[in-house]
Amino acid sequence: MKIIACYSNKGGVGKTATAVNLSYALADAGYRTLLCDLDPQGASSFYFRVKPSKKLTETKFFDDVERFTKSIRGSDYDNLDILPANMTFRDFDVFLSRMKNSRSRLKKALKSVKSDYDVILLDCPPNISTLSENVFSAADGIVVPVIPTTLSQRTFQQLEEFFRENGLPPKKLHAFFSMTQGVKSLHGQTMDEMRKEHKKRFLETQIAFASDVERMGVHRAPVVATAPRSAVAVAYRQLHNEVMERLNKA
Amino acid sequence: MYLVPASALDAFSGAPSGKLTALLTRSEDDSAFDLLDTFDEDLRQRGMCLLQVGADLNLWTSDRGMLEQSGVGAPAGFVADLPSGPVKDALGCVPALRSLVPLGQGHLSSAQLALVDEEEKTQARAKFHVLTTEAGQGVAIARLQSLRGYDKAFGQLQNDLALAGAVPLTDAHPLKALFPDHQSYVAKPKLDLAKDATAFETANAIIGAYLPVARRNEQGVIDDVDVEYLHDYRIALRKIRSVLSLFKSVYSEKQTEKLKQRFSDLMAPTGRLRDLDVYLLEREFFFDLLPESLHGGLERMFEMFAAERGQAQQTLSKHLKSKGYEAEITKLIHLFDTPKKLHAGPAADAPAHDFASALIWKRYRKICKIAAGIDDQTEDEEVHELRIQCKKLRYLMEFFKPAFPKDEFKSLIKPLKKLQDNLGLFNDYSVQQESLKDFLEGLGAGDHAGNMQLAQSVGALIAVLHQRQLAERQKVVESFAAFNSPETQATFRDLFHGGEG
Repeated sequence: MKIIACYSNKGGVGKTATAVNLSYALADAGYRTLLCDLDPQGASSFYFRVKPSKKLTETKFFDDVERFTKSIRGSDYDNLDILPANMTFRDFDVFLSRMKNSRSRLKKALKSVKSDYDVILLDCPPNISTLSENVFSAADGIVVPVIPTTLSQRTFQQLEEFFRENGLPPKKLHAFFSMTQGVKSLHGQTMDEMRKEHKKRFLETQIAFASDVERMGVHRAPVVATAPRSAVAVAYRQLHNEVMERLNKA
Repeated sequence: MYLVPASALDAFSGAPSGKLTALLTRSEDDSAFDLLDTFDEDLRQRGMCLLQVGADLNLWTSDRGMLEQSGVGAPAGFVADLPSGPVKDALGCVPALRSLVPLGQGHLSSAQLALVDEEEKTQARAKFHVLTTEAGQGVAIARLQSLRGYDKAFGQLQNDLALAGAVPLTDAHPLKALFPDHQSYVAKPKLDLAKDATAFETANAIIGAYLPVARRNEQGVIDDVDVEYLHDYRIALRKIRSVLSLFKSVYSEKQTEKLKQRFSDLMAPTGRLRDLDVYLLEREFFFDLLPESLHGGLERMFEMFAAERGQAQQTLSKHLKSKGYEAEITKLIHLFDTPKKLHAGPAADAPAHDFASALIWKRYRKICKIAAGIDDQTEDEEVHELRIQCKKLRYLMEFFKPAFPKDEFKSLIKPLKKLQDNLGLFNDYSVQQESLKDFLEGLGAGDHAGNMQLAQSVGALIAVLHQRQLAERQKVVESFAAFNSPETQATFRDLFHGGEG
């Protein structure tokens, strides 16, 4: 079982769209996938039409693995389940420490309810705090969408610094350029700079800004499912391939 | 998995289901299918349904769900000849000698039913394979899919389907639903006899039931689908003939003789083809018995058998299609449909139970007498006689089964079967040796080298078969003792001789 975190310390970068489409691409490729919606501002469960579970706001929730598994919902797609969460900060912390400290226990619990997932994808809240450290150490890889702007350049540097300061392996970071716009020459320039500056951190795949992604809110479904032949869907699949290739190598 | 009337599907479209709404999506695909099974519907009886759609096989099973396999030639034929795949694996249960045949045709399409909530989130789903016939009959095989965390909706879906007339696939079969006029082939028809039926009525009922069994197998013999058609055809006739010889004095002497002759004449043209079928079935067995150095001669022999079989099959096929045959079998069927024209004999009005008791008891006593005289030194003829008498006893008991208590009868049949297995093998080895000798004697003088090769192999084979026969022969005394236990003796006395003897 692999744990992938979808994380950004900056909002509005297409993180949730990434989590939604990446999870779909994983499931479609045959991985039994659980998407955990951990971002109260995000809406990955909304895109799958799954209603947030009331039970999930209870503080002690994650002490009880059975109740955790009980609130998992099947998506409309094969191999893809959703944990619709709307949890408190503290729950999130407890959840992560469980992931980190007793991965085998969690795995066992999941197995006991016949849901041994191949991949657990976490759609994480967009802040950097000491608590985020747990995400970073629990996950096998952290997928970070980055809009190629000067501001994003700074935030990504902060993230890398955070990793170094806290003794976390930066090679777990798999950044990619998100919402890129071909007409903006600044984008191209920034991307060149960042690739040079953060060698090996950036994936080849770029996800261009696309109205298809914007329309996801209307369809309430992954664009990879509704418009599988669109350029952006192809790009998300490529992202999936690249991420899994890297994780399987690690 | 469930079977749902196809007509019920449209009613789901947009219908409310509790707090949810049912959405039906029909796919555009539509392809012709053949419903495959063995002639005796082995798959249906195991709760399986097999469709061939072009080069694809779809198999529904009760324990493994739905299986698919492609790259299959048409027609599918024997399971052993299918390319390997999940459907072939699951069809391992099909008797090796039986070919898969199309029992019905129709069109296959698919549809999907989803129960969605107000967010249009699917909470439960059913996938349908919709089967329709030219005659307008339609059923859908439904596979239900539960989505994690939506158990209630799944229960709702099951409920909705049940209300629409869905039944578990294990309790219903598309064959019956799609082809209501289809008559299933039954090799051993159940006799519908009153408890106080007479011997005459019983004999007529048995013959009247087995004649159509023979008829049902004709086309399969003509088309040469598999060897079981001829085998069943002959068994049906043999049962009829044993009624005529075992039910003494039920028909007048003249009538009996006449009928015996007519059924013997029906049987006669089938003998050679069956013999050759049996030889060819023994192919592997014979090859295993001999060292590879002697396989050349066997190869040669089997080539000759195969060539002769082709001719024999054509001859029989021509005979079965002839006007003379058609007229004769039609007359016989008519005769037993209206038995008034049959001349009854002195024992005709005897109650079946008493009549059978006397016959079975007599036969059993005879068997005991023969068996008592058998030891290691007895002539083979005596063992053959024992086998024949046991066979007659078995037939009698099978015929009159309805007239006797079930459990006691079963307790006799089982050890009798075991004894017959032993005697049967003894006989098979003996018959094989005889026919191999005949084969050698029948060889032409032409090809000297070829004949030498044949003689070597066949000679060795006869020697091996002789050893096998001796080994079976050794077991006979023991097998009989096992059959004729004190319990068996007591049961025979109780059932057929008023507890005396």
